[in-house]
Amino acid sequence: MALSTWPGWQRLFSGRDSAKKRFVALAIIPLLLFMVFWTVFPLLWGSALAFFDYSPRRMGGFLGFGGDNPFVGLQNFQKMLYSSPDAPLEVQQFHTGVKTTLLFVTLVVPLNLLVTLPLAFMIESVNKRVKGIFRTLFFLPVLAPSVGVAIMWGYVFHPQRGLLNAILGGVTGKLVAINWTGDPSLVVAGIPVALFAVIVAYLWQDLGYNMVIFIAALQGIPQTIKDAALIDGANSWQLLTRIVIPLLMPTILLTAILTMISAFQVFDIVQVMTDGGPQGQTQVLLLHIYNYAFRYQKMGWAAAVSIVMFLMILSISLLQNRLLNTELEY
Amino acid sequence: MKTKLFISLMVLALLLAACGGGTKPAADQPAGQPAGDSAPAQPAGEKVTLRVWTHQNSSFNAGYEALAAEYMKQNPNVNIVFETFDYDTYIQTLQTALPAKTEADILQMFGSWVCSYAEGGNLAEMPASVASLEEVKGKLLDAPLGGYICDGKLYGIPQEFNIEYGAVLFNTRIADEVGATNYKDGWATWDEAIEDLQKMAVVQDGVMTRAGLHFTGSDGIATMFHSLYLQYGGQYLKDSTYTVNTPEGLKTLELMKRLVDVGLVDPLLFNDEENWVGDSYFAETSAAGLIGPWAIPEYSGDFADVAAVTIYQPLPSVGDTPVFAAASGWGLTVSANSKVQQAAWDFVKFVTLDSANALQWNLASGTLPALKDNIKGENAQKLVSEFPYFEPFLGFLEYGQYEGQFPDRDFVWYEVVYPEVLNYLQGNATAEETLATIENAVQGSFK
Repeated sequence: MALSTWPGWQRLFSGRDSAKKRFVALAIIPLLLFMVFWTVFPLLWGSALAFFDYSPRRMGGFLGFGGDNPFVGLQNFQKMLYSSPDAPLEVQQFHTGVKTTLLFVTLVVPLNLLVTLPLAFMIESVNKRVKGIFRTLFFLPVLAPSVGVAIMWGYVFHPQRGLLNAILGGVTGKLVAINWTGDPSLVVAGIPVALFAVIVAYLWQDLGYNMVIFIAALQGIPQTIKDAALIDGANSWQLLTRIVIPLLMPTILLTAILTMISAFQVFDIVQVMTDGGPQGQTQVLLLHIYNYAFRYQKMGWAAAVSIVMFLMILSISLLQNRLLNTELEY
Repeated sequence: MKTKLFISLMVLALLLAACGGGTKPAADQPAGQPAGDSAPAQPAGEKVTLRVWTHQNSSFNAGYEALAAEYMKQNPNVNIVFETFDYDTYIQTLQTALPAKTEADILQMFGSWVCSYAEGGNLAEMPASVASLEEVKGKLLDAPLGGYICDGKLYGIPQEFNIEYGAVLFNTRIADEVGATNYKDGWATWDEAIEDLQKMAVVQDGVMTRAGLHFTGSDGIATMFHSLYLQYGGQYLKDSTYTVNTPEGLKTLELMKRLVDVGLVDPLLFNDEENWVGDSYFAETSAAGLIGPWAIPEYSGDFADVAAVTIYQPLPSVGDTPVFAAASGWGLTVSANSKVQQAAWDFVKFVTLDSANALQWNLASGTLPALKDNIKGENAQKLVSEFPYFEPFLGFLEYGQYEGQFPDRDFVWYEVVYPEVLNYLQGNATAEETLATIENAVQGSFK
């Protein structure tokens, strides 16, 4: 059946608003084609890769599948469940990657909120003339490229030329050469110091983003509600904990989810500062995916890990949404 | 009517745009014949365009272009077009272009990549009509050629000998200042080397500020580990079985640990992440560094004063011969999808197997030769007069052994051997644990 005789097609372009419908269709088609080509197709192809032992170096059939890149079903996912010490290296590194990523996210999300929320309060409470300056200063690192940020912090933590060791050396009067990002034996409370170093750099860059969201949310709380609380005798602390924070809960939820998603996707700062070292202590999942996809060309495995990572983010987002969901109207 | 015409034109334009993303066809001539004993032939005199892909290295490419100009002069029907990519982009481009069959006719490859692409059917086997395997084996050194032979078939020709072991960058000014003299007569044993290198190291407040010998970079550790293993009489790779958890493996790790324990290097402060060997040596935070001769042209511009007092000092051998593991080298291959394979192979032969042309490329690119003819006699003298630091290497290139065919050499080198040996040298694991971990992980990569 020709397209022009298809009833749905005819309905789409007939009737009173046919010209408008045609215009809408015309406007949407290029976007749709763009999305199908650049988003939907890569997504489907990437998902399909997870079920093949695929390497771009090997010759396969259509889209590289089959032939020397055989279908392996769920084998890539089954491998992830091996837990014996003689499991293949990629499996051991995957387990390390999951642990490190979860640890990174667990530390980054609360630390970020703990710093940005009070910071937003403080900036909101200062004189209007200087508010803009503070907001700009704290937001500037967000605009800096991550690789530049990582290089800068790399210099801060460098064992011989680093600012941190220079300060410590100045204080102790001795040469200090602590390898903050490269010594696997440096562990505090079970957390590698190298991971802390990466977190510091990551937080420094990321703070401004949530801070701006919180400032906007604070400005959105009607003054009448605050005034009513003050008339009822609430002090500043009570105003903050009983009025402002509960009203900010949707924003806190939003920033927590956004921060969590972005923390799960941390890559460039880690790659430049530590490249996953020392001894895999900062090997996050996205770095693992990158290494196996583009350095070692095990794209089937990398695609399977990507799917697992996607499911992890999805499930934690849903859980956070359920736990923190609040419906507020004001 | 106008609207319909407009929509039709829009859709047509989008379809054309979607379909037109490919690369231009390789040649101005009809499709070639299937690959086999002989490459697809082109009728004599027919116009041929050869596309050549290389990675961006100005001295390498200057060498190629000079030879291409000479070849085109001799073969006026051939037009050679170079397309270059920066190193990382080149790797990714090869990975995507080969399955999509949009690659060039001639592909510059590093030897250790060749078999993985050849096994995927992406590279053409060199036809016997160009040169037989035996003929090529007679002309080329084993180590560089090893990377281009896959299952007894030849898939390209190396142009250089990539070497990372056998001699170290050595700062003679520092040696003379601290009274290290053994190096002048050559180090016959590791004890003699250690005596010199210990004097050259500097420690202040318990912190090493200058390493005597920086061998703890990724290439240094991996190549030293495998080379010492060979010198102790071991054979780490045989029929796809990787074995290092042996007495030879223990001796190898013990010697490497001894170099750390006697204070030649602090592996916590000198490794790939901190104080990379090339940077460290030329910044004089290392008095000697284990790195290939490619480092000198790379750094001599910015560090002329250090380069002026630098020599390559041969390392002692713990075996009867100074055998060492080497990672093949850069060379040329021909795409299996090329429609002009015969012309492509002819150019590859012209560049790589003709000793004068090969030498011209080595001189232009500052690389060690892969051809046996060019490591001795007049050709060797020409090289040494241009690159004096090549001299010690030319004496032992024949002892080089190809490091072996791994499913993924970079994975073995950088993901397994380097981090595990570094961890051991830093004192975080025993020798036995390290060898067992390396053996299991590398063997696992063969599955």
